[in-house]
Amino acid sequence: MTTLLYTHPACLEHDTGFGHPECPARLTAILNTLRTAPFAALEWRDVPQATVEQLTRIHPQGYVERIFARVPRRGNVALDGDTILSPQSGEAALRAAGAVCAAVDAIVQREASNAFCAIRPPGHHAEPTQAMGFCLFANAAIGAAHARAVHGLERVAVIDFDVHHGNGTQAALEHDPGYLYISTHQAYIYPGTGRRDERGIGNVVNIPLLAGSGSTDLRHVWRHEIEPALRDFQPRLILISAGFDAHHMDPLAELNFSEDDYAWLTQQILAVAAECCEGRVVSVLEGGYSLPALAASVAAHVKALMEAPRAAQRSLIKGILERQKTRRNAAGS
Amino acid sequence: MYEFLKYEVRDAMTADPIAIGPDTRLREVEELFESHDFNGVPVVDDRRHLLGILTKFDLLKAFSLDAHALVPHYDTIMEQPAAAVMTRDPVSVEPRLPLSRLLQKLVEMRTKSLPVVENDRLVGIIAREDVLKALRRATIQHEIPIHEDSPS
Repeated sequence: MTTLLYTHPACLEHDTGFGHPECPARLTAILNTLRTAPFAALEWRDVPQATVEQLTRIHPQGYVERIFARVPRRGNVALDGDTILSPQSGEAALRAAGAVCAAVDAIVQREASNAFCAIRPPGHHAEPTQAMGFCLFANAAIGAAHARAVHGLERVAVIDFDVHHGNGTQAALEHDPGYLYISTHQAYIYPGTGRRDERGIGNVVNIPLLAGSGSTDLRHVWRHEIEPALRDFQPRLILISAGFDAHHMDPLAELNFSEDDYAWLTQQILAVAAECCEGRVVSVLEGGYSLPALAASVAAHVKALMEAPRAAQRSLIKGILERQKTRRNAAGS
Repeated sequence: MYEFLKYEVRDAMTADPIAIGPDTRLREVEELFESHDFNGVPVVDDRRHLLGILTKFDLLKAFSLDAHALVPHYDTIMEQPAAAVMTRDPVSVEPRLPLSRLLQKLVEMRTKSLPVVENDRLVGIIAREDVLKALRRATIQHEIPIHEDSPS
């Protein structure tokens, strides 16, 4: 069973201006890596635009309209010091959110066991009514809401390992017991949220890490906090907000994860997914601003996705056989 | 070295040093650092009461990652007033403090300079370089080799 890769050329045309760290070259670096031989088994898929219906499950229609009204005909417009729009930003944002919804559709319908969405702009800082931190629409939250609304999944978990707290995803999901949001992030940096005592309605697990934390700390919090919370919740689908700026070479933070840590963490998530939800995982690109570290970390992450545990594959095959049987029975009766 | 023990801070400090007001923009402070060999500059009110000290470290700290922005913004930060980033209630010394004690303090605090305050007013600043210079001055006779004095 293969891994699906969702990306769109418009995501390369979201131009944040000279020198901005959230730049098209990030995606180019990732895609160039994923075009090499070890990733030949990836199934590349084009993505549709997100529909208004998909966006408005998280963002009020007025907010969506306000964002599109700010998109410039040429040049750049700054929504805040960090968040910049260019003429293609609206299109890119629609494809980014659309990618996550399309990936959720494909994974829930068992077209593959998991998917990676190589998209930008990122989404996890975008609150329902506030663009910020490079983000316009809350891609991961939109995908989670799509899974619940369209596919009727009772419980969807979002694991966010970007080095910054996903205030947007948290704000979108924290009032609904059908979602679990888990975030590891560096304490005391942008956006300043994500304290341990922010627990939503008991469905938010924030794990701030001190500057300098690395592999050992990651393994500790996985065993003692993330994995138990995930297993208690028994998700029917796991979304990953996959930011790679906790890498030790990233210029915007001070955590010390390595490529191997990302591979390890991905394997752990996949193992829980195999037990809880037939391996269903949709991973969504967030941050990561050292191009070499980003490309290497995404490679490690996607490689792990492609080598998803056999348990997940077995359950997928079982599902396919069952569906064939049902179809045969239906045809026979 | 015995001579050094007789020195006081006032013998080695820079008297009436350049100081800035609390409203001075960081941009101007940076220019001051650029044009003078200062590591820090005292911040005083209009009666030269010491309010704080602003060092290169404080300036660097203003650019460190925090919750305000994903990427620190140079122009915004440089428009901030000194009062926003200075170290308040700084350690200061009196002009009559033995220089040997001041040396001890600099070493213990790992700091580069300290303001000198008398009757609540800033009267000087004393830095590592000043102490090194005083050490040299206090011991200079002994550093001249005897044989160079003798004609043979």
